[in-house]
This record gives sequence, structure tokens and C-alpha cells, in this order.
Amino acid sequence: MTNLLEVKGLTTRVSGFTIINNLDFSIEQNELRVLLGPNGAGKTTLICMITGQFKPASGTIHFAGHDITGWAPDDIFQAGISRKFQVPNMYETLSVFDNVMVSLQGRRRVFSTLFQRLSGTERDRIWEILEFVELAEKASDPADSLSHGERQWLELGMLIASNPKLLLLDEPTTGMTEDGKHKTAELISKIAQTHTVLLVEHDMHIVRQIGKRITVLHQGQMLAEGPMSEVMNNETVRRVYLGKGKFQ
Amino acid sequence: MAEIVRDKADRAPAQKNPARAKRRYRAPTFLPLWALIGGVIVVALIGSYPYYGTNAYVLSLLGKFLCFALFALSIDLIWGFTGILSLGQAVYFGIGAYFVALSLKINYAMDHPTRYGGKFPDFMEWNGLTGLPSFMTPLTNTPFAVLCALVVPTLLALLFGVITFKRHIYGVYCAVITLAESLILQDAIIEYQAYTGGFNGITDYGSYATPALLWFILAVCVVFLIVSRALTHSRVGTVLKSIRDNDVRAEFMGYNVANYRIFVFCVSAFMAAAAGALYAAWVGIISYLDAGPVFSIEGVIWTAVGGRGTLIGPFVGAFVVKGAEFFLSGALASWWQIIVGGLFIFVVLVMRDGIVGTIGNWLRKWRKGATLEEVMEESDQRAHDRQLDWQPGGPPPADEPVR
Repeated sequence: MTNLLEVKGLTTRVSGFTIINNLDFSIEQNELRVLLGPNGAGKTTLICMITGQFKPASGTIHFAGHDITGWAPDDIFQAGISRKFQVPNMYETLSVFDNVMVSLQGRRRVFSTLFQRLSGTERDRIWEILEFVELAEKASDPADSLSHGERQWLELGMLIASNPKLLLLDEPTTGMTEDGKHKTAELISKIAQTHTVLLVEHDMHIVRQIGKRITVLHQGQMLAEGPMSEVMNNETVRRVYLGKGKFQ
Repeated sequence: MAEIVRDKADRAPAQKNPARAKRRYRAPTFLPLWALIGGVIVVALIGSYPYYGTNAYVLSLLGKFLCFALFALSIDLIWGFTGILSLGQAVYFGIGAYFVALSLKINYAMDHPTRYGGKFPDFMEWNGLTGLPSFMTPLTNTPFAVLCALVVPTLLALLFGVITFKRHIYGVYCAVITLAESLILQDAIIEYQAYTGGFNGITDYGSYATPALLWFILAVCVVFLIVSRALTHSRVGTVLKSIRDNDVRAEFMGYNVANYRIFVFCVSAFMAAAAGALYAAWVGIISYLDAGPVFSIEGVIWTAVGGRGTLIGPFVGAFVVKGAEFFLSGALASWWQIIVGGLFIFVVLVMRDGIVGTIGNWLRKWRKGATLEEVMEESDQRAHDRQLDWQPGGPPPADEPVR
């Protein structure tokens, strides 16, 4: 099977610091990949690079047959990559319904949205998504009246609405209660059945609940990659990330 | 209409499907009944003033205020709906006004020769010109001048948008650049006084303040209101609002934020230019002040006081602030500027949503069954909360640990 995302020799420098150093990384079609790493390992930076927020110093990023290195964020979205931010990031004053509507897959140019009306299928799709993330009851509420957890789910819903080829989820369970985290993990597992997902996560419970294949980053380089059990037993990973003392 | 029908069809199977019964979503209507009735009454009241009103001064103010309101509406489109604060909107108003005023003046001078017999605008004669400059001859044709008054500002806005928004310049920097733009135009008008009338502006080109022009201004206002409603109610309007709320999210949702900003900036400039063109014809005097930063900021204040993000707000704001100014400044002449400044500070601190927005919030709460006191308390609290959020750099990220 070919790789959906292929990162080769990627290097990033931000004001003299090398954040990501000659990284090779790839994701296969329909994979659910978890990205682990201590603070400053370059996880979020990698996501910023893939989505075009930062430009790489060297290296290439290939996605679904395109060389997307240096593309603008909106073009990369058009190519099929959607991104969830660490802090819930939505349109606060719009209703929950409109938040999903704006995110629907479809035309994005000014003059094609000018006279576009919401079709019946699109409406059904919005309701389907709202029910999936359990926000149908709050459809007409403004998004800033939602709780923190609900915002995270709404953003997940918005990502599904855009129907991407690859979802990048940057710590979607940050700041949630245990229940919320559990529910989010379930949502992500469901999403992963139909989408390719790259998940950045710190919480080991969540990682155990959903993780299949794990990549560990450390100081901008790949430390280990492989199935859950293998990585968890890797000596180096334990030393730099999990904390040696705790496990012995 | 089709949308309403579809919405009903969508809610119809609610009894059969319990999951669907939970949905309490009402799509906003394009033109609510109260707005239609209220709008017709207001239009009728203003439009029939020449019949029942006797005060010519009030009549002249009505036309003026309508132009100001249209100007404020153009600011609301970019500021209230898209989040671009422009402190130079008067540039587009001013250019529109100057094109029309120049054309009217040139035509007026042909029938009314100056003291020395020159058949071209008197201010040109005072400044040593011996005839109408050749590049201004096309302006003799008034329809062409009106076309220029509308098209030139729109193209200028397009140029401005391409050089700023495409380079990801917005927010405070954009506000400062627009302010500079407005200062430049003001200085240029003063500097090239042979062509613009300089400090004195363009005066004495005949009066066109007839009931017919009032109705025309009123009609233009109604048309622009409907266009603005259509724009903000449509899909593109939802995208504009999402750019206002969170431009980064919109960009990562595949929207070319710069193009949307440029688009709405051009629409807004067109609207401001139309307001300026009508204003020049109505008041019969135009000066550099009508293109300067002070007038731009005044427009921003009207929008804020009336309620940004609402379409009626700019009209209410312009009429309330400007109306109060005209009727109170006689009594409180030296205090008036301070009062307007204080009003702006009051609105920013206590009523962030302006008059219309605050009333709207109350009504919405009231419908949900809260008492008016609770509603007002809520509203104060919200204003307070937003004030706390309003720091340089925005609110701290939610997940940042407290150290």
C-alpha cells in the first residue's frame, strides 16, 4: 500500500533553534497513528509544517501524489488535510449549526459561495454530524455558550464535515474530564474507521485505548516507531519519555 | 421562501422520530415581519417629510444623516461582519464626493462665469489656472463623473486589499495603514488646491436638495440595506463572520481569507463611495474634512454606538449621535466633542454590542424566560468578561498551566 503522507528529510529552524531535524515520517492510507513525545519534541511543529503554517528549511512533504511543500494553508486543506488545534478553535459567535455548515466540504471561492444555498443533502449531513458528536440539541446556540469539552467535539464535527483525506488531531483531550476524554477517544476511534488520522496525545490512557501504531519523537528526530506493545517496551523510549524510574 | 419551506419539511417528521424531536433549530429568516413593518414605517416617515414638515433645516439634516448612515453601514460590513477595522473609510467616501462635486462645479461654472469672466471653477482661477485642465474635461459629463465616483474608489479598495490582505496584514496594522491612507488623501487635497479647492473645499455649485433627491437617497439606502442583508445572510456572509470570529480556523478550513477580505472591502468601498456621491449632491459643499481621518473615526463611532454586527445599528448610531450633535451642539458647543468621546468610551466599556445589539440581547434573553434584571446583569457581566479578554495578544490559552 502506498503512503498517504510522506515526509522526507524535514528540517525546521525557528530563530536559530532546530526544532525538527532531518525527519522521515510517513502514514499509510486508513491508518490511525499516534504521535508521542516529551515537550519540545516537535509534535505540534510537525503538524504546523504539514498544514503549511510554517515553511520547512529543507526537506519535502508529499501528500496523496502532490508535493505540498511550501503550499498555503488553504491550498493544503483543498488537497485534503484538516487540522484540529490544541485549544478549541471555532467561530464563537456563530451557531453550532453554522459552525458545521461553514466547514462542509464544498466550494471555497468567494464568488462560488456568494450565491450558494444550503441543499437538502447538506442539511442532512449537518444533522448527521451534529448527532454524531451529540450536539444536535444545541444546534442554534452560539458556539461560545458550549463547555470546553463540547467545543472540542464541535471542532471534531467540523473536521468530519470537511471530509478530509487526513485528519491531524493535536491533543484533542486537553483540559477534559476523565469522562470527556473517554468519550473523545470513542469518537476518534469511530472517525478512524473511515478516515486516516494522525493523533498527537499525551495521555497514556487514551493512547492505550485507541493507539495501534505509535511514533515517538524526541528532539525533532524519530526515536521509535511500531506497534503499541513494542514501543512501550523500548528501552530508549522509556528512558526519555515514560521515565525509567516509574516503570521499574 | 424555498428555504423556509425546506426548513418546515425538515422539522415535519419530529413526531415520528424521537431523535429528531430534540432538534430546536430555527433558520434565521431573510426579512422578519417586524423588520418589514418597522422599515416601511420609517421609510414612509422620512420620505413624506417634505409634505408634513415645514422645517427646511430638518429636511437638509435628513438627507445628510441618511448619507452618514450609509457610510456607517459600509464600515459595519467590514468591521462588524468581517472584523477589519478601517480608520480610512472616508477615503472612499471623499473620492466619491469629490468626483461628483467637481463635475457639478464645472457645469455650474459654465452657466455662472466668475467675476473675471472665466467659464471654469473659480477656485482654479484664484490658483492661477487659465482654464479647465484637460484631464478634467471628461468630468463635464456628469453621468461619467458619477461612474468614476463609484468605480475609482472600488478599484482603489481592490488595490489596497491586494497589497495588505494578501500579505497577511490585518488587525491593528491594517487600521494604522488605513488611517495613513486617509491622512495622505487629506494632505493631497490641501496640497493640490488648484484642482481640489484646497482648504476651502468646493462650494457654490448649486443646490440639489429637493424632495426627489431625498427619495433617491432613501431608495439607495433601502437597496444597500437589502443587499447587505442578502450578503450577510448568505453562505458568503457566514464565511465572513467566521473569518471575523477566527481567521486562523477559517484558513485551515480551506478558505482563502485574503480573497474574502478583499471582496468585502471592495463592496464596502463601493457603498461608501455611493454615500459620498449622494452627500456631495445633497449638501452642496465638500471639503478635505470629508476625506480625512476624523470623519473616518466618526463613522466608526456611529457604528459602535448603534451596534456593530447589526444592519440597523449604523442607521441608529448615525441618527442618534449626529442628531444629538446638531440639536445639542448649539447649547453645549464647547463640550460636544468631549461628549461624543465619552459616549464612545461608555459604549466600549459597558455596551460592547451598541444600542441595537444590547436591545437584541435583552430580547433574546427575555424570550428564554429570564427577568429583565437578570438579563441586564448578564449583559453587564458579559461586557465585563469581554473586557477581560480584550488584552493585547488575546486571552491566555486555556490549557496553559497556572504557574
